This record gives sequence, C-alpha cells and structure tokens, in this order.
Amino acid sequence: MIAMLRSGFSTRRSRHGLWGVPLVIVLVLATILTVETDQFATRENLFNLVAQAMPLLIAAIGQLFVILVGGLDLSIGSVISFSTAVLSLDGPAALLIPAVFVLTGLVGLINGLVITRLNVHPIIATLAMQYILLGITRILRPVSGGDIPRVVIAAVQGSFLGLPLPLFWGLFVIGLAAKVLYGSRFGLHLFGIGGGVAAGMEDAARNFGIRVDRNIVLAYVACSLFAALAGIFLAGRIVSGDPNVGLLFELDAITAVAIGGTQLSGGVGSLHGTVLGAVILALLANGMNMANISPFVQTAIKGGLLLAIVGLQSRKKMGL
Amino acid sequence: MAQVLSRPMLRRLAAVPPAYYVFGLLLLTLWLARPNMLNPNVLGIFIRQVVPLGILVLGQLLVMRVRSIDLSGGGVILLINYIITSRSFPDASGLTFVLMALAIGGSVGLLNGYMVAKRRVSAVIVTLAVSIILVGLVQFLSSGKPPGDVPSYMNEIFNIKLGVAPLPVLFWLVCTGVMWLVMQHSIYGRYVEAVGENAEAAVFAGVPVERTVVLAHVLAGLIAAVAAIVQTGSIAVGSVRVGLDLPILAVAATILGGVVFGRGEGGVWGPFFGVLSFALLFVVMTIFGIDDPGKLIAQGLIILMAAILYGWRSKRG
Repeated sequence: MIAMLRSGFSTRRSRHGLWGVPLVIVLVLATILTVETDQFATRENLFNLVAQAMPLLIAAIGQLFVILVGGLDLSIGSVISFSTAVLSLDGPAALLIPAVFVLTGLVGLINGLVITRLNVHPIIATLAMQYILLGITRILRPVSGGDIPRVVIAAVQGSFLGLPLPLFWGLFVIGLAAKVLYGSRFGLHLFGIGGGVAAGMEDAARNFGIRVDRNIVLAYVACSLFAALAGIFLAGRIVSGDPNVGLLFELDAITAVAIGGTQLSGGVGSLHGTVLGAVILALLANGMNMANISPFVQTAIKGGLLLAIVGLQSRKKMGL
Repeated sequence: MAQVLSRPMLRRLAAVPPAYYVFGLLLLTLWLARPNMLNPNVLGIFIRQVVPLGILVLGQLLVMRVRSIDLSGGGVILLINYIITSRSFPDASGLTFVLMALAIGGSVGLLNGYMVAKRRVSAVIVTLAVSIILVGLVQFLSSGKPPGDVPSYMNEIFNIKLGVAPLPVLFWLVCTGVMWLVMQHSIYGRYVEAVGENAEAAVFAGVPVERTVVLAHVLAGLIAAVAAIVQTGSIAVGSVRVGLDLPILAVAATILGGVVFGRGEGGVWGPFFGVLSFALLFVVMTIFGIDDPGKLIAQGLIILMAAILYGWRSKRG
C-alpha cells in the first residue's frame, strides 16, 4: 500500500505517471471549498457535482485510451454534439441508442484507419473529422431542440437506493475502463505501444509481436464510444439535442488526462490519475461558479491551466 | 517508349500541389455555371474577401515547414479587432494601432515558440490553449457584445482600387513575394528547410534548430497581427466572433498548397493558390445553395484528402 502510494509521487519512471500530485490537489481543493464556503459540503451540491463532472469524466477516460498510444483525438467534442443530435431525432429509443454507438464507433474506426493505414498525423486526421462531423451535426440539428428518449432522461436524472443515478454511471464507466486497461491483453498492449512511441522506437511493440495498427484503431474506436456515452449522458441532462454542446470538450478532456499525470507522449498514465484530473476540473468549475467568476474568464483560466500542465511535461519530440 | 516517358511525367504531375488542380476545377465549374461572374471586377471582390486568410497562410506555411502548427491566429485577430473597435483607446492613431497589433502578435508568437521549441510541448495544444485564453479574455472584456465601429479610414484604405486591382489584393501579392524571397534567398529560409527536412540532421549540421522554430512562431504571430488589421479593415463593425475560423482554413489552404509538416514542395505559391481555391469554393458553394454545415464538411474533407495524399506519397517515397 505504502509502496503503491509512493509510486504516485516518484519521479522515477512509473507506468502510472505522477497520480499522487493530482490526489493532493483534489484534497487541497476540497478542503479549501469546504472551509471557505457553506454550500460546497452539502449533499445537494456534491450530488450535483457528480452529475456535472460525469460527461467530462467519461470523455477523458476515452481520451486516455488514445493518449496512451501516443495519439490524440480532437474529434470527441463533435462526437458528443453528434450523439445528442442523433438522440433528439424522431424514433424509438431502442433504435436511436444503438444508432449512436454504431455511428460513433464508425467515426472512431475511420479515425483509426486514416491514421494507421493512410499515414496521416492523428491531430490532423481528428481535426478534419471534428469539422466534418460538426457539419453533419448541424445538418441534423441546426439549433438546439428536439426530444430525448424518456429512458435516457430517466437514466440520468433518476435515483436508486437514495443515490443519484450519475453516481452509478461513474462506477460503471470506471469499472469498465479498469477492466479493459488493466485486465485485458488489449490494455497491456496499449501501454506497450505507447511506451515505444514515447521512447522514439515506433517498432518496439511490433517487434514483440503486438499488432500495433489494429490496437491503435481499437483505441480510437474506444475513445469515440466513450465520447458517445458522454454525449448520451449530456443529452439526458440538457433534455435536447444541441450542435454546440460538445464545443471545446476535447481540450477539457485532454486537460483532465494531463493533470492526472498521464504523459501526452504516450505509454505512461493511469485511469485513477485521469479520474482525479476530471475531479479537479469539476471542483475548480464548482468553486469558480460559487465565487461568481464570469464563464468567459473560466474558459481562459482552463486554457491557462492546460498550457501550464503541458508546459511541465518534457518530451523529446519538437513540433506537433 | 511511351511507358518510359509517361512514368516520370506521371510522377511529376502527382508532385504538383493539389491546390492548382482544385483551383482549375473550381474555375471551370464557375465558368460553366455562371460565366458572367468571370470578370475582373467580380473576381476582385471575391479575392479581396480572402486576403486576411491569404496573409495568415504565410505564417502558417512557415511554421508548418518546421513541423509545427499555429492555431492561435483566431485569438490574435479577435483581440486586435477588439482593441481597434472598442473605445478603449479613443486617441490612438492608425500607426499606434499597427504597433500595438504587432506587439500583441509578436509576444503571442514568442510564447508559442518558447513553449514549442524550448519546452517541447505539442504545438497544437499550446496554440489552441493560447487561442482559448485570448478568446475568453475578449469575450469577458466585451461581455459577449459587439464592441463598436471600425475607424472609417481603415475601411477607406481597404476599399481603394488601383485600376481593376483592389489594394488589399496587391498588398497580399507583395507580402507573398516577400515571403518567397525570404524562403528562397535568405539564410533563414535555408535553416527552415533544413529543420523541416530532418531536425536531427540539422542539429548536427550546426543549424540553430530551436531558434529557427522560435523565430518561425514569432514571424507567424506578427503575420497574424497584419492579417488582423486587414480583417478589421474589411468589416464596418467590430465583432466578438471575427476571424475564429481563419486558423483552420489557413491549415487547410496550406496543406492544399502542398506544404505539409516538414515537406515544402508547394513553396509559397502553392498555398497562395490554396487560398484562391477557397475564395472560389465559397462562391461555388453559395451558387449551388450549400450553406454553413456543408462548408464545414468541405473544409474537413479538404484537410483530410490533402493529408491522405501526402501520407500516401511519403509512405511510398
């Protein structure tokens, strides 16, 4: 236990990255908010906080998959908006919900194939996808509106055993990601591929018999599917389809992953760090809202935070 | 015999930046659909609209030649537009505005360059983060409302015509010419080429790689400031949304013009025609009744197609 805790602070290379630092930040932020404000440590605010943080948490976990292999997915903001737009179309929930996952899985598949087979840089491929999908979303739903299936709204806004349902969404998503990342061969291979990329030895994983291209494609599919889940959750919260709801979400997700101690160059990172990163962003937003800070300034502060965090991560490669 | 001849011919044809084909194709489409639009006066107006983009592209192609990217142009343009159109500096003359704009562009470029070259941070993340900070700042200062009017002399300068040629278009041509000279005939141009081809080899050849990249970002920032001034001259009233889509269009035009991360077959004129292609593309799409969502899809597809083309070529070559 102590050894595990120590690994979170060790500057020696650990596969999990520096997740102890965000843990301390979370504790400090929570303490400050509890002491400074009366509203923070209330049952209502904490439950609300969970629901607020959930879309970002889900999207950030998806982003973690591609960041681990040294990639980046800038299209998830559009995937989220697209998912809410599809859900708001006319049709039975039994058709719309599977449609969301099939279509966004296809988006991830295209991202992955373009990157691995057609040799396009991940940032360029997913940036292009961000625009294409935003265009499609605006055709489906030019302005926010439409009706969301009742099942989705109930699954997001209801409660079970006296606890709000978003809490169970969080447990399910974290459990699922933990199983995939730490309990499957696919997860292990993601760390292997990324470790090679970060060390400048792109062929390392391939030489150990890992099917690099296929695993990278699957990572992008996973990222898109998690983003779709985040979109479904958001649709249940805002109760309409909105073409702009996912705007800049990709940057928040990257910030959350990076604050959680995951190296953007790949191979080093952790699920628990990412969860802590999303919690930090949620606590900051909660605190800034209570302090009545303008949403525009909040955006600027989040940009500054991202800049500071990535500025602290050293890597070998220069450029993109 | 024919086979022997055709192979290098084909290869040479494939090396021509896609911008020239796209430009030709769009010109043909326009000629078939609306032949009366193809006169210098009408085309001049269309081309004048993309001059800010054309200028921004000059910076973009420079940073992309050194395997970096600059997406902060939107924030720079927005901030400079806000400073000129808000009444924050009522007594400032045109020259003061130009100097302020260059100071802003230069310092943003310096920050980008430092983060990318010295701190080795991903250029996309740095420049996007800088852009959101600037956009957030402007929206906070203006509370989301349009700031005010553009000084009328700026509109007047923008509307000057020398013969059939609008002054902004001539200015863009001159800027592109200067950039061509820098890339072709200066030591700095050689450094840029060396860093783009192979940064590691450039280090061993004694090229100051980090300084070259920092300077590329500073120049891109200054160029974005110039684009901001031209953009401001092209509109009558300030806006809190102006120029936000320009950086991504600049990336698309640059890739279309044959300049992709380190590879610069397209030179300076390839991206120039990339911008012209976008000028025609918007006209053609408007003629065929394709609105904003269609334009977004087209932008994305152009970036994707051009990047796929180059990825495919570099894999084979």
